[in-house]
Amino acid sequence: MDVPTRSIDVDLSRPDGAVVDLAVTTAVYASGLNGALRRPTRFDTSPTPLLGKPGFVPAWKPYFPKPKVVGLVFPPGVEFLPPKEEKEDREKPELKSIRPPGSEDETDESGSRPKKRPTRIAPPPDALSLEDRLFYLLQPPLQSWLQGQELVMPFEPFPYQYEGIAWMFSQKSALLADEMGLGKTMQTITAVRLLLRSGQVRSILLVAPKPLIPNWQREFALWAPELPITTLEGDTKRRKMIWSMPGLPILLANYELVVRDFQNLDEEDRPKFDLVVLDEAQRIKNRDSLTSETIRDIGRKRSWALTGTPIENRPEELASLYEYMGVVPPRGTPDLRQLRRLSEVYVLRRTKNLVMTDLPPRLDRDEYLELNPAQQHAYEQAEKDGVIHLNELGESISVQHVFELVLRLKQITNFDPLTGQSAKLDRLAADMEEIAASGGKAILFSQWTKCIDWIKKEMDERVPDCGTLVYHGGVPTRKREPILSQFKEDPSSNLLLMSYGTGAVGLNLQFAGYVFLFDRWWNPAVEDQAINRAHRIGATASQIIVSKFICKNTIEERIDRVLAQKRELFEAVMGDPDDSNATLSMNASEIFGLFDMKAPAAKGTKSIGPKAPDREAA
Amino acid sequence: MGQGRTERLHLGFLAAVELEGRGHVGGLLVTNHLGRPLEFQCTTPVKPNRTQELLYGPTLRAYLLGELLGGTLVERTSVKADLLLVEDDDQLGVAETTDVPVARLLTDDDPVEPSETVRLGNQLLVPASGVDAAALEKLAGPLPAEASLAEPFDRVREALRETMRAAA
Repeated sequence: MDVPTRSIDVDLSRPDGAVVDLAVTTAVYASGLNGALRRPTRFDTSPTPLLGKPGFVPAWKPYFPKPKVVGLVFPPGVEFLPPKEEKEDREKPELKSIRPPGSEDETDESGSRPKKRPTRIAPPPDALSLEDRLFYLLQPPLQSWLQGQELVMPFEPFPYQYEGIAWMFSQKSALLADEMGLGKTMQTITAVRLLLRSGQVRSILLVAPKPLIPNWQREFALWAPELPITTLEGDTKRRKMIWSMPGLPILLANYELVVRDFQNLDEEDRPKFDLVVLDEAQRIKNRDSLTSETIRDIGRKRSWALTGTPIENRPEELASLYEYMGVVPPRGTPDLRQLRRLSEVYVLRRTKNLVMTDLPPRLDRDEYLELNPAQQHAYEQAEKDGVIHLNELGESISVQHVFELVLRLKQITNFDPLTGQSAKLDRLAADMEEIAASGGKAILFSQWTKCIDWIKKEMDERVPDCGTLVYHGGVPTRKREPILSQFKEDPSSNLLLMSYGTGAVGLNLQFAGYVFLFDRWWNPAVEDQAINRAHRIGATASQIIVSKFICKNTIEERIDRVLAQKRELFEAVMGDPDDSNATLSMNASEIFGLFDMKAPAAKGTKSIGPKAPDREAA
Repeated sequence: MGQGRTERLHLGFLAAVELEGRGHVGGLLVTNHLGRPLEFQCTTPVKPNRTQELLYGPTLRAYLLGELLGGTLVERTSVKADLLLVEDDDQLGVAETTDVPVARLLTDDDPVEPSETVRLGNQLLVPASGVDAAALEKLAGPLPAEASLAEPFDRVREALRETMRAAA
């Protein structure tokens, strides 16, 4: 193929005029292809993979790993057959409110129905394991547990009582120190009932002073009629059999028998309990006493103590109770600050001031009386002779000498032994005429059984209509209950004479509207216990009038001043953290001070202490 | 059912608590008809991851509370309930995992029509789908009239919080 050629002529003139031939010849194929393309085309092949399935997305199935599960199964509770009376009742017993009319209560918005805040059981601070804590948290509120669902209550507890029950239920070591009359017995019984029901305890030993055993029996029958109670009584053989009986849920025993029997039982024969409850636990305030040591030796898992007077004389008494409760080591001597810290965890104490809306008011009247002429003469003579005698004793004088004189003078202020004149009896007779006429009930306390017997004789003559009854240590135990029943039920029995020792603790006489303190006890705590026989939960009187007889210008006025100071001290010890050295015992200086005398130096701090409240002073 | 059935009624209360940033924990309390606790089980926290959140979408909560937490708890509880109660619609899914009838407690501000509810004691319940309402009503026999079926849920929640405090 011919390739057309084309020439391009460029005529450029050089500066010198010479011509340069720059003709360039090119040949272009007609196809327009470069000649290089005339070479044969080479084709190479290489393999190329095709696209596959996408594989970069991770596979996912709708799957959650199962969560771990933790939990607890609750122990089966102890079931009791309902008491026979319940079977006869076709209708379920209704709750009765014992709240006095007019007391304040929370209401709902409409103001029509009381709004009840459920009381939940909180785990105790010393419950560390989750299982223990959940056990308490998952219990139903007490109200639903007690109010007609599972356990029928004869009366509806007060809110503070619900709190007390919930607290006791969760405590392995507990000192319920509510002021007298706030229902320690009922709270204890109900907490015991719930512990049995929930399978937490199966055997309980309840130790109480002997005169209070019938009271506990009565209260158990009222508050927990389904619980079988066994009372430790009878001869040694029978008691030994009771101690060895298995499966007794509740054993009721008095201190004396417990001490005696445990000393006689071999170590291996001594029973162990899930719970030991001490009523009037001040009985073990002296940690060295045989009673304290024996009680502490009883094998138990829970230790409860009940007393309205946790500190009767000295704060150190608490240490003995704490040792029993297992919260201080044996022989441990916690100081006051440590005691207070322990109290925050292990003591529940409510005073009537705290729950005053639940109780009728208590009116205290100090009755200052002039001695009758013969009494005055006898008193002055006795005091004069007594002081002279004390002075004559010189260095050999002891607090006991002074104490004897105090007692003698106190007896004369009650009545003149020669003439029988008595300003106090005159006042009592006048008051009782009025009280008996209005159908009221009165309790009178005296330190001396002889004095009580004398008052009984005089009152029978002067005010026969008031049906005076006597209840003191001289009355045989089996006759005491009928006397209390008569006082309660017989409308013509208006006056009950009691000794501080026998009548001051544990008895429920809340139907009495009047209390007379014919003479004064040495310890205000014991006086309060006496007064609180009447001024307690369930009191039916609209008010409780407490009359304290004090003869003017006598030893009684001076003692009254000391008692007032002691009362202040007690409050300080229980509440005021700065009062670190308070002691409630009347020391020798105070006794000597009653006669403006100074105690010998060596005896200045010797404590005479109050007599035990359960012992007769006469 | 026999006489034993009429005297015994074990109620299961299934609840869940959401923990901030840690997911959900579930708890099941089985009580007798008087509210006394018989058994309690609770789970460890379960927190869905992002993928699970995306893929379960709006069904995630119901699956988590009902089938996963509820189902696991029911399976692990040794004291068997006769009726499982829940407070939340999302927990009704537990019914998929068990033969025990499931119902939700009706609250005051619940918009459910009365025809959909069942009365048990003095409280109204919304049965899960497929639950025989008549059989449910028959369970009420031993239940005291004054029994609160809402209160045990408070206990479960409190116990869950206590458990999480202990685990923290």
